[in-house]
Amino acid sequence: MFEFFKNSRKLLGMNSRNLEFIRPFNRAKAKRLADNKMHSKRVLKKNGVSVSKLLATIKTLDDLENFDWQTLPNSFALKPNRGFGGEGIIVVYGKKKNRDDAWVKADRSLITIDDLKNHIRNILDGSFSLSNTPDFAFFEERLQLLKLFKPYSYKGIPDIRVIVFNKIPVMAMLRLPTKESGGKANLHQGAIGVGIDLATGVTTTAIQNNRLIEKIPGTQLSTSGLRIPYWKDILLLATRAQEISGLGYLGADIAIDKENGPTILELNARPGLAIQIANLAGLTERLKRVSGLKIKTVEKGVRVSMDLFGGEIEEEVEEISGRKVIGTVEKIQLLSKENEKEIEMEVKIDTGATSTSIDIELAKELGFVDVLEFFEKIDLPTNFTREQAQDILKKLKAQYQHPDLADIDIIYSSHGVSIRPKVNISFTMNGILINSNCNIVKREDLKFRMIVGKRDLRKFLIDVSK
Amino acid sequence: MELNISPIIHFFTNEGVPIETIVLLLMLPIIATFIAFLRQVVGIKAFGIYTPLIITFAFLATNGLRYGVAIFLAVIFIGMLMRFVMKPFRLLYLPRVAIMLTIVSLTILVMLVLGGNQRRTGLASVSIFPILIMITLVEKFVAVQIEKGNKTALILAFETLIISICGFYIASWPFLIKALITHPWLILFTIPLNIIIGKWTGLRVSEYFRFRNIIKQL
Repeated sequence: MFEFFKNSRKLLGMNSRNLEFIRPFNRAKAKRLADNKMHSKRVLKKNGVSVSKLLATIKTLDDLENFDWQTLPNSFALKPNRGFGGEGIIVVYGKKKNRDDAWVKADRSLITIDDLKNHIRNILDGSFSLSNTPDFAFFEERLQLLKLFKPYSYKGIPDIRVIVFNKIPVMAMLRLPTKESGGKANLHQGAIGVGIDLATGVTTTAIQNNRLIEKIPGTQLSTSGLRIPYWKDILLLATRAQEISGLGYLGADIAIDKENGPTILELNARPGLAIQIANLAGLTERLKRVSGLKIKTVEKGVRVSMDLFGGEIEEEVEEISGRKVIGTVEKIQLLSKENEKEIEMEVKIDTGATSTSIDIELAKELGFVDVLEFFEKIDLPTNFTREQAQDILKKLKAQYQHPDLADIDIIYSSHGVSIRPKVNISFTMNGILINSNCNIVKREDLKFRMIVGKRDLRKFLIDVSK
Repeated sequence: MELNISPIIHFFTNEGVPIETIVLLLMLPIIATFIAFLRQVVGIKAFGIYTPLIITFAFLATNGLRYGVAIFLAVIFIGMLMRFVMKPFRLLYLPRVAIMLTIVSLTILVMLVLGGNQRRTGLASVSIFPILIMITLVEKFVAVQIEKGNKTALILAFETLIISICGFYIASWPFLIKALITHPWLILFTIPLNIIIGKWTGLRVSEYFRFRNIIKQL
């Protein structure tokens, strides 16, 4: 019980957020900027920050009547200027075939110009704005979903919420639209919130409707371990947005566009508290650690953030040793002989082997058919002693030559002694390109068709618990 | 009355202000403080501070709590129902609320007539002001319904009802009424109390509940 209350002090509550962070650090002027989407878009753009492109604005009923609907592209988003919580947003994905006056929405239902007009009238009337004051409507370019996120999100586009305080990103969350949320990335509508390790941009824990989940509902996709691309850029962008907006305590919503990369969607002067559940971490604790730090540049702020709030020790080890940490099983991309194709597969990291070995069939797939046929024809000696081995090897090497045959070697393994051909194969592991001198052997019955040996592991540290 | 009525209350009544009005006015800061406490410390949102406060007084002004609650529930029920009925028409906000108000007024009228018919004279003789107050609830309800959806609107309406019922019992608590008549200055204590509530930065009770699963894992 005592522990419970002690732990609860690490969490940020509504009262504390309003009184200790929003009130003192978010001035009225900055809040007005955040609440006005068009204005914040303009200011951010002027300062060279990437925002989604504004297509058209409708400020009055006259504007609406005179609007030329044919100027709209096939896909766009219609938003209320002062909307909040994702309400009142309509996204269309394409024009209905053979029709000039209708578009298709995420759920494949049609929306006509009349429907849009009606919706805009409601927006102008203030139905979706904070405190129901009259509002503007605007059209903006629809962002293109990144391929990586496709299996993870239902219809809409996922976004990343970054809380920035004192020029330091303190917490981040990936928000995935679900069927329940109707393709919207708002947690209270049923979207999934996924915690992110700030140092690496790798997802950790996830929640939906305030409950922890491990897989995307209806799929076998794990919510943890997803590496978000452009991570550092995203943190830099969020911090930059804070600097420009003047919001001391900011929730920046950032989406990754297929073409333009990280793009600011919206600034939030009163970011919600659910991010703490998604990350299984308290904001108060983190905010305390960064308050009072003097941060001069955006880059410095992001660096401090990555150092303070990255949970993964591995990243630190890599920094110090300059080597990548890998597990005992790793995913690699094998390049074929002529580099014309790539095969992705899992391999075993084997520190007991000197060199890397690869299965015959796999080697053939990679374009080494010719050299293998050449090698098969060789009449290999059997039953020799270790003393004789070096001589035999020398003889074989002199006698048989082939452009693809890099070497011939005698391998002593738990299965006995064998003479194997060696070829040069390139692969990338954990982002590092390795030119390997691989021996070829029958491995098709074994679990892994390839093992990576010591000679190719010099640039790595191996963590057996991974 | 054998009560030791405060001289200032005496002065007020002698000037012609009814004692009931004085008690209601003195009760107002106490109910308001109660609502502020529920919001900041307990975490019950309701429809702001004004709506539960005024509904409390509407309950006090109807003849007994149950008629007040009946009218309240009728208003919310119609608000829910009309959302579905009105959806296909796609009307703008104000005309839509106007239609809802019409239906609510008619329904309450029917309720009063039925009440009279069933010889529940208490219902039929409810004065018009509390009824009007309840009707204003419709707008609050519809606004939340549009912004945050049916579920949130219902939860907030329920919270408002609970707060108003509690407020009703506080305001009709004989001990408190007596205390206010004898020591009207007591209400000044609500000011420092509100200052404390207004500076309260701890987690709300509702937040302990919301974060209960992760608190253990921090």
